[in-house]
Amino acid sequence: MFDKIFVPKKIILPNGKVVLEKRSYTPLILLILLIATIFSVHITGFSMEVIVKRIKEFFVILDQMIPPNWEYTPKLWQPLMDTIKMSLLGSALGAIVALPVAILASSNIIKSSIVVSIVKLLLSILRTLPTLVSALIATFIFGLGTMAGTVAIFLFTIAYVAKLLYEQIENANMDAYEAMESIGLTRIQAFRYAIFPQVLPNYLSTSLFCFEGNVRYASILGYVGAGGIGLLLSEGIGWRNYANVGIILLMLAITVFIIENLSEHFRKKLV
Amino acid sequence: MNAIEKQLLSEKKNYQYITWIFVIVFVLFIWSLSAIQLNNMGTSGLTIAKNIITGILHPDLDLLFNITEKGVAYLLIETMAIAFLGTIIGAILAIPLAFLSASNVVPKPLAFVTKILLIGIRTIPAIIYGLMFIRVTGPGPFAGVLTMSLISIGMLSKLYADVIEDLDTSVLESMTSIGCTMFEKIRYGIIPQLLAMFLSIVIYRFDMNLRDASVLGLVGAGGIGAPLIFAMRSYRWEEVGSILIGLVLLILIVEFISNKIRNKLVRGY
Amino acid sequence: MIKFSNVEKKYPNGLLALNDINLTIEKGEYVAVIGLSGAGKSTFIRCINRMHDITDGTLIVNDVEVAGLKGKEVRQFRRNIGMIFQSFNLVTRTTVLKNVLVSFVPDLPFWRKIFGLFTKEQKMQALSALDQVGILDKAYTRVDQLSGGQQQRVALARTLAQNPDIILADEPVASLDPVTAGQVMDDFKKINQEMNITVIMNIHHVDLALAYADRIIGIRKGEVVFDGKSSMVNQSVLDHIYGRAQSIEVRKEGAKMNHV
Repeated sequence: MFDKIFVPKKIILPNGKVVLEKRSYTPLILLILLIATIFSVHITGFSMEVIVKRIKEFFVILDQMIPPNWEYTPKLWQPLMDTIKMSLLGSALGAIVALPVAILASSNIIKSSIVVSIVKLLLSILRTLPTLVSALIATFIFGLGTMAGTVAIFLFTIAYVAKLLYEQIENANMDAYEAMESIGLTRIQAFRYAIFPQVLPNYLSTSLFCFEGNVRYASILGYVGAGGIGLLLSEGIGWRNYANVGIILLMLAITVFIIENLSEHFRKKLV
Repeated sequence: MNAIEKQLLSEKKNYQYITWIFVIVFVLFIWSLSAIQLNNMGTSGLTIAKNIITGILHPDLDLLFNITEKGVAYLLIETMAIAFLGTIIGAILAIPLAFLSASNVVPKPLAFVTKILLIGIRTIPAIIYGLMFIRVTGPGPFAGVLTMSLISIGMLSKLYADVIEDLDTSVLESMTSIGCTMFEKIRYGIIPQLLAMFLSIVIYRFDMNLRDASVLGLVGAGGIGAPLIFAMRSYRWEEVGSILIGLVLLILIVEFISNKIRNKLVRGY
Repeated sequence: MIKFSNVEKKYPNGLLALNDINLTIEKGEYVAVIGLSGAGKSTFIRCINRMHDITDGTLIVNDVEVAGLKGKEVRQFRRNIGMIFQSFNLVTRTTVLKNVLVSFVPDLPFWRKIFGLFTKEQKMQALSALDQVGILDKAYTRVDQLSGGQQQRVALARTLAQNPDIILADEPVASLDPVTAGQVMDDFKKINQEMNITVIMNIHHVDLALAYADRIIGIRKGEVVFDGKSSMVNQSVLDHIYGRAQSIEVRKEGAKMNHV
């Protein structure tokens, strides 16, 4: 299409051969980006003046976070543990449920293309839904507390792990699977012995990786009432008690750091 | 002990290790079961669940196709504008930081300090930045833009630095043999390599920023999140339905296009 | 003409890479440099365009004393010498044509250099160079979409666009399969004969060297131990260059390569 609007330039070489020089996309792309930027500045009310005048407010808050309020630490353990519990349980259950769902979404195992496309579509929708939004919906159904957060993480984990898993299954080597089917194993049995061992290490490693990310998500879910340390975080900010916010963020950073390193250690062993 | 027995025993050891891991994971799992609390749910939960599902299945079509400032379309455009501007600002500001944190460009101690600073920036969740920037600009999309910029700086600098650290320097040798100066080597040997990768990273970040920007409204930093939470708090599930449909569609479309462009940039097809 | 007189290259760590080299290469010759890895082949070639500095003796290329050049003079001197590498050394994420155009970069005025605006004549020259190596139709393809042999041809076209008197090639076919290697060697032969460009090539593949080059220089532990027509090379010469045991290995490996 592009070539029709911007006709390629003809270059004729000394020996008579003709080369079509494609027009560069760069000026067009730059123009679009420029227009989009101006438009966005207009829509969002972006103003350099405000930044210059008031950005110090940001650092004032940052400054009040340091030093953090150490005396607040004992009150943090319970919500912090809740956050970890939520992500652990949600990730574990989600990863388990993701396995059958991923099989249903694999076009090389399930012959019905309708089932495969519906499951794939549902998975993309679930994956697109921001965790915070599903947590918010969950609080209406399950009430305020860790249950809502667990459900939100559970749903996201299914979507994330199942997507990566069905991509793995679809790319797996099918020779052994067909051989086993031919000697009379059922499809489930053949999957168990031919495909499952191929995707197992990656499945476990993906689940661990998802768990790492979930700890980060879980920490803010409390903001919408879905349990864990996010609740204290929103309280601290609401009451402008930034020294408390500082200690919460510090504890969170340490927790995330420890969990990420542990999980990375095991993921390296797997692959 | 012959070789076969040795082999058998070594297998056992491995099993032992795996068993222990399983036991630990299982204990942690049981421990975390206490996160399940159904006592808060009661009977109203089920009714609400039913309402939510009917609401989402019967979205408020007026709102969905409304083209005024209250309509879903405008809110989505506002969300995109927040994500876009934040990505652009972050993409530019991240370049110097990326070079400052690449250990093959600057001295190791400086790279280390920059890296720590970037990890610090990345540790704080987007929502917290949103709340802090609201104190600077007041509620609205402007706060969202600043939040997205800061988040993008943290993420992009790291990914840029990874690209800079595994640049293909062999092309520089051939440019030396052609008689190029240092400036020419950077302009024609390094920038073309970086440009394709950086663009691909930036497009990916825009994709992620769009998702983050859609929840920033929850704290009042503009975009579609605020109307979403209002609709929920007032149990207008048809509105929630139309907003969610718009949001999911937009994110899926952007994801599809971004994957296409990135494949073309990185792999060339 | 390239003239080595008592050339010596000693690395800072004390390794003597070239020792007392004396030889002359006339314009239009096709020379293959053979020897074990680490014998000093690569250093030999890189001294000619001053990618390496020599530590003693004199090296004269086209009536210029190479060691005496400074800064800008070195870059100007290199403009007339093309160089081809084992790993092609191209910017893979951009088009073939842009890679070839790089050879005109030092000639551009500053503002054109910044924006990457090449003149029409330069584009024509670059395209002609691509035509000479038979990949004109790939001009707007990204390099990473090409096979190894095609990539080496892009590198060759980049060098031709420089319009050089001399082409130095450092193991140009080592990363290629035997069939493609033969094709690339044919390209070098064509360039050497039709355009009268001197070709000096490092190559560990003895059979290819004997089949294509006119003259063979054998290097062993930094010294030239053989210098003569390729027709004069026989088993005892190879034994001398490689040492007895290795020379059999080298031939065997070559034979294996040819049968792939």
